[in-house]
Amino acid sequence: MSVVLALVALVLFPGGLFVIFGSLAFEYADRKLVARFQNRVGPRWFQPLADLVKLLVKEEIVPVGVNRGLFNGLPLAALAASLTAALYVPMAGIAPAWGFRGDLVVTVYLLMMMTLCIGLAGANTQDRFSLIGSTRALTQLFSYEAPFLLALLGPSIAAGTWRISEVNGYAREHIWMIVTQPLGFLVALIGLMGKLELPPFDAPEAETEIVSGALTEYSGRGLAFFHLGRDVELLVGLTLISAFYLGGLGNPLHFILKTLVLLFVTAGLQSLFARLRIDQTVGLWWRAGAVLALVQLLLLIVLKILGVRL
Amino acid sequence: MSVETDFLRIQGSVAPWVSGSRTAENRLDMDTSAERLVPAVTALRSLSWGYLSAITGFDSGTAAPSDGHIELLYHFCNGPAVATFRVKVPREDPSVPSIGPLVPSAVMYERELAETMGVKVAGLPKKRQFLSDDWPENVYPLRKDFTMESAAATREVGPAVGSEEAPGTFIIPIGPQHPALKEPGHFELAVDGEIVTHADIRLGYVHRGIEKGAEDRSWVHNIYLMERICGICSHIHATAYVLGVESLSGVAVPPRAQTVRTIFCEMERIHSHLLWLGVAAHQAGFDTLFMYSWRDRETIMDLLEELSGNRVNYSVNLLGGVKYDIDGKAADSVRRGLDFLERRTTHYLKIVTTDESFLRRTRGVGAITFDQANLLGTIGPTARASGVSRDLRVEAPYMAYRDFPVRPVLDSRCDLEARFVVRINELFESYRLIREMLDHMPAGELAVPAPRKVPEGEVISRVEAPRGELFYYIRSTGGVKPDRVKVRTPSLCNWAAVLSVAVGHKLADIPMIMVGIDPCFSCNDRSITLRRRGSAESWSWEDLRAYGISYYAGGGA
Amino acid sequence: MAQSTLKGIPRALRGALDKVALWSRINSPWLVHFNSGSCNGCDIEILATLAPRYDLERFGVKLQGSPRHADVLICTGPVTRLARERLLRTYEQMPVPKFVVAVGSCSITGGAFHGCYNIVGDIGDVIPVDVYVPGCPPRPEAIIDGVVQLLTKLKGGAPAKAPEADARLGGGS
Repeated sequence: MSVVLALVALVLFPGGLFVIFGSLAFEYADRKLVARFQNRVGPRWFQPLADLVKLLVKEEIVPVGVNRGLFNGLPLAALAASLTAALYVPMAGIAPAWGFRGDLVVTVYLLMMMTLCIGLAGANTQDRFSLIGSTRALTQLFSYEAPFLLALLGPSIAAGTWRISEVNGYAREHIWMIVTQPLGFLVALIGLMGKLELPPFDAPEAETEIVSGALTEYSGRGLAFFHLGRDVELLVGLTLISAFYLGGLGNPLHFILKTLVLLFVTAGLQSLFARLRIDQTVGLWWRAGAVLALVQLLLLIVLKILGVRL
Repeated sequence: MSVETDFLRIQGSVAPWVSGSRTAENRLDMDTSAERLVPAVTALRSLSWGYLSAITGFDSGTAAPSDGHIELLYHFCNGPAVATFRVKVPREDPSVPSIGPLVPSAVMYERELAETMGVKVAGLPKKRQFLSDDWPENVYPLRKDFTMESAAATREVGPAVGSEEAPGTFIIPIGPQHPALKEPGHFELAVDGEIVTHADIRLGYVHRGIEKGAEDRSWVHNIYLMERICGICSHIHATAYVLGVESLSGVAVPPRAQTVRTIFCEMERIHSHLLWLGVAAHQAGFDTLFMYSWRDRETIMDLLEELSGNRVNYSVNLLGGVKYDIDGKAADSVRRGLDFLERRTTHYLKIVTTDESFLRRTRGVGAITFDQANLLGTIGPTARASGVSRDLRVEAPYMAYRDFPVRPVLDSRCDLEARFVVRINELFESYRLIREMLDHMPAGELAVPAPRKVPEGEVISRVEAPRGELFYYIRSTGGVKPDRVKVRTPSLCNWAAVLSVAVGHKLADIPMIMVGIDPCFSCNDRSITLRRRGSAESWSWEDLRAYGISYYAGGGA
Repeated sequence: MAQSTLKGIPRALRGALDKVALWSRINSPWLVHFNSGSCNGCDIEILATLAPRYDLERFGVKLQGSPRHADVLICTGPVTRLARERLLRTYEQMPVPKFVVAVGSCSITGGAFHGCYNIVGDIGDVIPVDVYVPGCPPRPEAIIDGVVQLLTKLKGGAPAKAPEADARLGGGS
């Protein structure tokens, strides 16, 4: 790949600007859907963009007693990690910009950076609400991360590769893996909701208990980056799950249809449930999520050994 | 009559400590003194009769400190009956013992007396609790010699108000500006991980000084002031006030006016309970239910507007009647609105009793046992959800409730779920009542003239607000303004119960538990605030809880 | 602040950026709510503006928990002696640019509570107010209008007779 192409891939498409605007569009779709489910009109189409720009031009208050480097660096790191992850997935149904053996593992780690950064940011600001929020964010991280990874491993074992583009290719040629591995799909989708701290897994930023959780003290740019990073993560996560479980992504139309269907489902789940307490979240993930994902995985390995083609 | 036999029984058992007693309809007044107060209350409590409803203090003096005395009224209520111990103390040295060890809920009222009347209650800390910390020393707003000039002074404020952390504890402040609170109050929760080990409260952010303000306003003007004690239950405040004043002036309100008032009371209950349902769902992070219940609440807001011209603060009452009539056309639209709401309410009842994720947050959480509810003087739906049947509409019917009896709604499960179920079932009862009243609306006048001056005397007016018993004590010296208006709002009674059950719960459950009593800061703060720090020497909610426990141990309940 | 970060950029570009910044501010007013002694009437009406009937999210309004995230402080009630300091603190915690909308008659004059001993004044006595919304309590439409007036003011339009504000209100509700 030439330098120019690489730069285009980084800055314009499929990374960079495309991902940023795409993820804002997804945030809009998510908010609009939730609003409709709640019998409201919901935001206008440019709302996420206006929010983002407004936060970018707002005063950034750095609280007393924080490490300034960390305070400013963490939002950047979180955003950078999610943007990087976007390069390894079949964004917009086009083959990933980069890829290598084992990029699945790298992507999962990059997606985890977001939560880690939020956790660190909360711990750095020394505000009581932030501290509790970051404790909860990290506690939650330990509960959904393993099942989420296991759920993504299923398709990759079926395809016999650790490379996202190859799993995607395998998915396109075979029966949709949501049919053969329904448990894995369920865990992956709900795991994504946990990662994004969407209701009912929004205990880390439970407004009524701890204000805005770890990000309580962020005001301008930092908040904007964290919000954007989370939107990008939503886009990357939906792409990954639809590539793996919904028969792969071969062209932009596939991409739009499949990710929107997933978004519709997650928005519905968001409006259906009351918030789980943090202990209930952890309990749910380890008692149900992890077990389900493991059962799925074991079943798959046994079938694979027996030589059953999926 | 059982009330009269009860009074005879009380008079018999407290006789040695009482110098004189008088009975009137549902009222028993007993004169006692500061020294004899504790044995007298002990004797009353040994009968297991009633609960402490309020402590009123009023100043009979004018200017000089040596002039007149301060009279303290300890009101115990049981159904329609009110038994009152009256204690006169000299103005220059007003001191009484605390009855907190006997009646835990008394502590709140005693602290209020100490700050607003300057009554020295032995055993209470001298710390400032509900007036701001820079409020001048020895200035008591409810004394007759109080002037605004004397309040303008400030006193040296000690160390900054804030949380002092004992080593090893982590204190989470909630409020006064906090998303869980649509109104300001301040809580300090000490947590160990996610478990709350200590709960603490400081109210007073919306304390406006209404009781004193009432003394400067005419009898009519005060209707509007009382209505603004609370924007959620505005009508019931005005109703309690006008009922009291009307009974003092001997005005007989026409039955149609009473029925209109009652219909508004029930509509207000509907709006308040639906509001609560939404807010409580929001606390549980169930925003969809919040949105839906508030959407449906607009139905009742529209009806209130149609009938009175305003969505909130409808200003229905006059002294001697009401301003608005409910004609046939209006009645029809109310019926239609109620039909819609009834369908929706059935749906909500189903959600709160069957939705798995919601039940995880309510079932078995924040239980207030029957005994606790009884002991801590819990009232309203909170008490009824613990099986304690306290509903003035049932026990002491007033206005149109006499002709349209209310069926009590009770639940014995004691937890948050029960509080949801009780309130939702009360909605059904309100729908039924309103329909019945509309169908059998008495004909006649809407209002009769009431005198500008109110004859000398005192009256206790108790009504059932959406949150529980609302207590008004009104005293007139025959002028154009009241001499004393004492308001004890329902939320105040329920704080004790909440703070004592909060300990041991998870932080995430606290907003739900707090909101479970449907707290109304604006209501309580007009009179009182409690604040306490974790330090060992101060009187605390923990002490209050300990009182409760030792009280149980003594088998005194 | 936008202005200070834009130094050293050509004037034409700076103008364009300022316009974008203004556009974003107008379209994304996040609120934080403070009750400094109100009776609750205004507060429930503010909450009602978020519910489906009025749905303020249509205009990009979000109710935030943390003052740090908010652009507009929406206050209710007269200011009590105890709440004064917290009101100031909440205001100071907000990042600039910040605006204040005072809702209800009490926040303008003390209303029914004028002259009570624990009232130190109205909102305007404590913090600078941009828009007052009178009423006891004002209807949700009036509160929305108050926010729209603020946005019109931001645009530099005359607040009282802003045709766009009317169109928005009329068309939306």
